[in-house]
Amino acid sequence: MPECQHQWKMTNIEFGFIVFEKCSHCADLRTYFSPDDTWDEYKEGDCTWSIVENAQTFRFDLQCTECNHLEKFNDLMGLLFCTGCLEDCEVELLRKKYEAEKTWLLVAFGFLPQSKTNPIPAYKLEILSDHFNQRRDTSRSRIIIVPFNLIKDISLCRGEFIHDVGMLSLEPPEERKPLF
Amino acid sequence: MIKEALNASVLEGVERLDTSVEQVYASDLMSDVLAFGKPNSFLVTGLATQQAVISAHMAEFKGVVFIRGKRPKDGAEKLSRDNQLVLMSTELDMYDACVRINSATRGDSPEPVVVTAQEQAEKMLLSNEFEIQGDDFAKAGIVSTDIKSILKKIGFDSKLVRRVAISTYEAEMNVVMHADCGKVILSVTPQMIEVLIKDQGKGIPDVEQAMQEGFTTSTEEMRAMGFGAGMGLPNIKRNTDEFEIDSEVAVGTTLRMKFNI
Amino acid sequence: MNTKDVMEKIGLQALNKFEPREVDGVFVSDMLSDVMAGAKSGNLWVTVQTHKSIVPAANLVDVSAVVITSGKEVPAETIEMATKHDIAILSTDLPIFELVGKLYGLGLVSK
Repeated sequence: MPECQHQWKMTNIEFGFIVFEKCSHCADLRTYFSPDDTWDEYKEGDCTWSIVENAQTFRFDLQCTECNHLEKFNDLMGLLFCTGCLEDCEVELLRKKYEAEKTWLLVAFGFLPQSKTNPIPAYKLEILSDHFNQRRDTSRSRIIIVPFNLIKDISLCRGEFIHDVGMLSLEPPEERKPLF
Repeated sequence: MIKEALNASVLEGVERLDTSVEQVYASDLMSDVLAFGKPNSFLVTGLATQQAVISAHMAEFKGVVFIRGKRPKDGAEKLSRDNQLVLMSTELDMYDACVRINSATRGDSPEPVVVTAQEQAEKMLLSNEFEIQGDDFAKAGIVSTDIKSILKKIGFDSKLVRRVAISTYEAEMNVVMHADCGKVILSVTPQMIEVLIKDQGKGIPDVEQAMQEGFTTSTEEMRAMGFGAGMGLPNIKRNTDEFEIDSEVAVGTTLRMKFNI
Repeated sequence: MNTKDVMEKIGLQALNKFEPREVDGVFVSDMLSDVMAGAKSGNLWVTVQTHKSIVPAANLVDVSAVVITSGKEVPAETIEMATKHDIAILSTDLPIFELVGKLYGLGLVSK
């Protein structure tokens, strides 16, 4: 029997927030998904974690409509688009190459710090690209998703997340600041 | 009417379903709801959080309907009960929800309500009242914590929230330590946050002296508990933009603290 | 009906140059996460959001155009980026609710 040519569909959609928290002691950044928009500050040993940003997002899994195979994506924090800030960054070089072919590149981020040691596997990024391409007319343009470890230096990256930051604010939204 | 048009399930406020609604405002952006929403509107939103309810309440809406089957997880239902709002959820998306309400109301929608700039400026965005019990150290700090989380949730700048929280905490502790009971009123207008703390108690005989750093009338017992290294009035003054104190011996003290936004 | 037809019939203002595209349904949301989860290829996306990250979101789900409501001013970098990605940015002074009424009048349905 030939292998299933998966047709992906988003399922188990759960809306919530990505919480970005920073420690004033070690200056590390951590992220996690939360169904609520918490703003709590807490101590952990020497570290004091306080929340620097709350971004609206959603968690989902992809399921094949043909064979019902379920691929979980709860390790995906979000998609970042490259703003071309570093000329010699691998992502920027790839982006330029792909854009010439009408293929739009996005960078997949996992949660921090886990994804630094356990990045989202390449096959899952392929599934993700497939899903978005199946939703569009690929004769016009395509989507490709690449892993964030291609970014030369995250601390210098000025890419932007596709997330709703500041939605809960009652002040008119200002220009967003980079999260890293 | 909206309930039928959207085939919505009512999450809160069944008894208020016959409330008349003048307009419908569709948005997920809460700053827009506050800036452009007219009183007596109904909010259609995909933002299924407590903020939607807080914003709807501040903009004097009659209720909120969440689209795409979303239901808020946090205390939105209690909040809408407290604020007399109707809360619904529909499986429709924003477009269909607007279309259905549009067609159901076509022809009989009233003239839009015009709010003048002056009225808008004077409009109270939020007014909450809290009670403090004198001598109840177990609950000391709860009011300032509550106020802090309300302001944070609204999305005020964290430095501003911190200043309000610190000042309110100092004032709250003074009520717990020195008064019989007190009332805190938090008001938010587009220009400022005001915290009014009025207590019934022995009052402060010499306000000027109390304003000096280090001055305290705390008992030994209070100090042993870590409180009362001064009345905190100088600290309050440092953290507020405007600060008034009014005290009468054997009657009580009123503190008015203002913070510019 | 294509994006140009919709634009002319409702009196939307085009903020960039675009190739007319078939409009297949409408999606209304100000939450990018909602759009990524729910919008479909060819949808007309109606929103008040103007930040440049609407462009990658619009591109990801392949909407036919973005309609910015309530006369919100759209930053130049958003328009520039949209042009590069072949995404039409249209604008109207109408708030979302009123615009939806008109779109429905054109026979557009949610997809």
